[in-house]
Amino acid sequence: MSAAPYRFSLEDADDRILAGRAADGDTRAFEVLARRYGPLLRAYARRILGSNNEVDDVVQETLITAWRDLPSLNDGSVVKSWLMRIASHKSIDRIRARKNHVDVDDVDAAQPDRLSPHAVSEATSLHEAVSQALATLPLDQQRCWVLREVGEHSYDEIAEQMGIPASTVRGLLSRARRNLMTEMEAWR
Amino acid sequence: MTDFDNEYDDLDGHTIDELSDYLDRGRTPLDPSIEGSAGCRIALNSLERLRQISKSLVEVDAAAEAPRNDDWLGGILESIGREARAGRDIPLLPPSPRATLSVTEGAVRGLIRAAGDRAGGLIIGRCRLDGDVTVPGTPITVSIDASVFWGERIGETVDRAREAIYSALLKHTELTIASIDITVHDVYFAQVSDDQPDEPGDGSVSNEGDVL
Repeated sequence: MSAAPYRFSLEDADDRILAGRAADGDTRAFEVLARRYGPLLRAYARRILGSNNEVDDVVQETLITAWRDLPSLNDGSVVKSWLMRIASHKSIDRIRARKNHVDVDDVDAAQPDRLSPHAVSEATSLHEAVSQALATLPLDQQRCWVLREVGEHSYDEIAEQMGIPASTVRGLLSRARRNLMTEMEAWR
Repeated sequence: MTDFDNEYDDLDGHTIDELSDYLDRGRTPLDPSIEGSAGCRIALNSLERLRQISKSLVEVDAAAEAPRNDDWLGGILESIGREARAGRDIPLLPPSPRATLSVTEGAVRGLIRAAGDRAGGLIIGRCRLDGDVTVPGTPITVSIDASVFWGERIGETVDRAREAIYSALLKHTELTIASIDITVHDVYFAQVSDDQPDEPGDGSVSNEGDVL
């Protein structure tokens, strides 16, 4: 038997192969997954948390949980959205723990429900305008928007995770939508 | 109807929230009072654009992330590495009647990956040992997920990997292998670009192992 040249590295392997190997205990495969999706998980956690604080902790907890639970992930090809789901849960857990310890959510309360007009007129692209507009929304609106539009969670899932009624989620998303659309119109 | 909905020109009695729900439903069933309204169609287009942009925000943020120093990830990997997935103990013939000797299922999986990868032309994914590996002599079926590289003959590549895995198991374990089933779920192009994931192959090719 003559072996073909070994010209493949794990970095090039698809998610399904890597998730399968990591589930079987291959820490190198897990490392490749962690490097591939680490920046995405950080960016996602940052958008949900609304700040840079605790991003490292959330991603670390996400990876540790992922390693532990990978054997139960039957379809390795969905590992990216699976990781994002863990990260959103870890982020919301942090936020809820924070709220249990601090009575006043001063950051949220200080922000206006409606943005001042032309807050994003400096943006150089529509994409940047939306990004900036989102960052200036009240945190609860940002979170719901990101969980809905990026994480593709249902209203009920968001409600359950955040520990608020689904009707409140609906209201927050409605306000976020209006604010963002107003900014989009203003930017043009 | 609020001031905001009025701002959005004429939505013919509809609201932005209604339009958003309508998009969530995939515009089905088709609502003629929405589709027939020029104002609603403009608002629907804006909503769709907002959603597309929103969906890509985190990916764009991620692409702009400053690279992490490796120590951080290294620390995490070190802590998870201590939780190795040993699995079941697979007995080996002991050197004396008073001794016991075994190898872990995790180690056997590692052996299978190494032998399969080294055979060339494919990369091994998840593998499963079906059958009671803790009882010597039990027929064991090995089920393996793999991707074959573009340009390789799938049949030959899989046969070569199966032989290599069988030899390795024969040499290093005392398992009774009933069959080694390798399922190829994807074909790889040799140069995979970083930003575009591979298109999945045209369905999975299943190559059931012959009884060895």
